[in-house]
Amino acid sequence: MASPSQFYFEDVALHGVLDTPAMTITEAHVGLYAGISQDASVQPGLVPELLPLCLTPGLGWRVNQPPLAVMAFMGFEWEVLHPVRVGDTIHSRSRTAVKRSMREGGVIIEERQVINQNGEVVQKGRFTFLVAKRPAA
Amino acid sequence: MSASARRWFEEIEIGEESVSPGRTVTEADIVLFAGLSGDYNILHTDAEYMKSSIFGERIAHGLLGLAIQSGLFSRAGIPYATLGFGTLRWKFKGPIKIGDTIHVHAKVSAKKETDKPDRGVITVERQVLNQRNEVVQEGETELVVERRPSA
Repeated sequence: MASPSQFYFEDVALHGVLDTPAMTITEAHVGLYAGISQDASVQPGLVPELLPLCLTPGLGWRVNQPPLAVMAFMGFEWEVLHPVRVGDTIHSRSRTAVKRSMREGGVIIEERQVINQNGEVVQKGRFTFLVAKRPAA
Repeated sequence: MSASARRWFEEIEIGEESVSPGRTVTEADIVLFAGLSGDYNILHTDAEYMKSSIFGERIAHGLLGLAIQSGLFSRAGIPYATLGFGTLRWKFKGPIKIGDTIHVHAKVSAKKETDKPDRGVITVERQVLNQRNEVVQEGETELVVERRPSA
């Protein structure tokens, strides 16, 4: 079976910045999230803080390049700076802060921000991934 | 919800521990989360490709595990009067596979006052464990919790 097209460790530019397309957060997103998380503290109208965080990888999928060849999502640090409300339109900006080659793949640390329609950074943090190297031809 | 069903900042003690109920993570959870988040990584969506991976099958999104533990934590004991998350530090230690049953073990590690008189910050260390008691995720969350309103 042919391997799907992916963005490998070698393809990632250190300090490269990517802006994703935006998405409007709706009551439907909140309802679906409440159902999946079964979080009893989710209230109508308010966007649970973890939802924008959960949406950032998918926003990254809408950037016009093949998906990052993630072998493992190792961890993240995150800060909630301002509330997000239903009707807000968010996008994500990420910058490759660290690129460390390992024997098997390499570690990529991304600084990531969630930005609303007014240009305010509402959430931000760092994601650490183990990414595959390009297979030998 | 009556006021007595939530615990104020003053009522939460450093060192207290709680254990959540368990929840079995299903294929439906992963499919729904992929649909909601738009994260269609082959790790979570391509059963055939994943047969030859080190995991041997599809695995749950790490952030799905985070969302599920947040719901489980809200069902562990009497909920805090939480206003929201401040910060999170989180590590993904192992895969969550379809059919795994996870629960949360939480411990309050710190309390601090803020410059706002109506709220404080509680630090909760959390471990997400599977049915073999392996830690699959762990981390620390800072929660902003309401103080008891003055009479």
